[in-house]
Amino acid sequence: MSDSQQKIVQGLNPADYFTLAMDEEIRQENMPGSLCGFALELSKQPDLEVLQQRINEFGLKFPLAYASLQQKGKRFFWYERAESPNLFKHYAAKKNDTADFHKTVLLDLINEKHDREAILPISFHLISSEHKSVFLLRWIHPFCDARSADLILKYLCTESEQQREKFDFPKLDSLVNRQLAKYKWWQKIALFFKAKRYITSLDTLPSVIHADTQQTPERLNYQTYSLTLEQTQRVNKLARQQVGLTGTSLYYIGCFMRALYRMNPEQAGEAYCAPYAFNLRKNKALSPVLGNHVGALFAQAPKSILDNREALFQHLKQQHTQVIREKLDYAFLPVMWAASWLSLAKHGEQLRKAYGTGGERSSFWFSDIGRTDVSEMSFFDSEIADILHLCQVTSPPALAFLSCQFNQKLSFSYNFVEPLFEMQWIEQLHDLMLDELLME
Amino acid sequence: MKEKIREFIFEDLIFVAEPEKFSDDDDLLEAGLDSMGIMRLIMFVEEQFTVTLPDSEIDPDNVRSFNTLEQWILQHK
Repeated sequence: MSDSQQKIVQGLNPADYFTLAMDEEIRQENMPGSLCGFALELSKQPDLEVLQQRINEFGLKFPLAYASLQQKGKRFFWYERAESPNLFKHYAAKKNDTADFHKTVLLDLINEKHDREAILPISFHLISSEHKSVFLLRWIHPFCDARSADLILKYLCTESEQQREKFDFPKLDSLVNRQLAKYKWWQKIALFFKAKRYITSLDTLPSVIHADTQQTPERLNYQTYSLTLEQTQRVNKLARQQVGLTGTSLYYIGCFMRALYRMNPEQAGEAYCAPYAFNLRKNKALSPVLGNHVGALFAQAPKSILDNREALFQHLKQQHTQVIREKLDYAFLPVMWAASWLSLAKHGEQLRKAYGTGGERSSFWFSDIGRTDVSEMSFFDSEIADILHLCQVTSPPALAFLSCQFNQKLSFSYNFVEPLFEMQWIEQLHDLMLDELLME
Repeated sequence: MKEKIREFIFEDLIFVAEPEKFSDDDDLLEAGLDSMGIMRLIMFVEEQFTVTLPDSEIDPDNVRSFNTLEQWILQHK
């Protein structure tokens, strides 16, 4: 329970609550909650002294980073606590580099269980062996979204103090609240019902779920793949041809739907459905650094059109255009706001089909981080060789597909909950995904 | 027309430190206009200027700068 002497640093915004409801859902499955991670593979050990100084500075500038998430009445708040920022170091015990040392530690860290009140909202880890280092930025989703994490990395990597001062200046409040404030109360109500109708219509088609839901979730695992420059150029070209300039994420979603379908066309369910969040931050803005500033959209495709690649992309594109035209993306915001006054269980029931029912709207979770901002930077005197993304996911769907473009090459992270999915199945899925992406 | 579009893009879509220094020929895609932003921009233009921009013409060259965008819109006015 919160100590009445503790100072509240900040309340949660409606999008933070949305991710908190998912944190609760994951915890109910005896998993660690909504832990996420960005990991940078480095060519050598970075300059630890400067890195630690930069982390200290980040903590001073953003005290929320060391706050404790606690419930007071029905609401949740970030409470101040005396915790000094730190870089956690993990070294290989043996002198020789073991091939799986870094992955083992990464998996341990992303599967680490902590009480919600005790966990650091964000923590920094360096995993080092003789030949390789991995820097992990691990956070809990109510603290920030993926774009925030990208901004934090960018902040750490920015050498000029003057440039670093531009982060979060001017300080912006929650963009979800700012957007909501633009509407009159009756407009909010109209949007609310519009969004409810949208969600209800999505739920008329039961989603195809490939996870073996008879199994109990045990542990998150991941597999990453990087495409070559030539492959990436080909994918970008095909994406442009298939879905046009306005929906490159839809290309990945469509290809992933088809790859899943090819894994087992007979899998129960009537449609593939994938959420794709849209971020309310202006592109290239350095602010707000922290918090979740997202609305949700869904791509849904009936199984009957999965066989026809052209028809699928045409359908996804039309659906996306319609959603934007009808402003259904913004419509989700008042629903998140209203649900933020409910208990986490009720919130889950209202916004997520899954909570306590064993059902699930999403066939998989999807996030396209886009061109990552650290791609052309060095990391404290060390070159960034690769980047990977991690996220805990509810079961079902027990599967998340995360993409980004790093150093002009596409990089994919498959995150999956074992034993609902097994590595061998994921590897087969990726082979099909590659076929789909490259049209081979 | 260009002023309204400028205001929308810099207010809602991309962050530019000094928008007044962003010329009508500067590259909007380089500045951060992405696929979702282009979609919003097209919706905004269609509503504001009562024009329909054909999907088949949504091309980087048509949305690359304020000038090319204006030309594209005028073709359909």
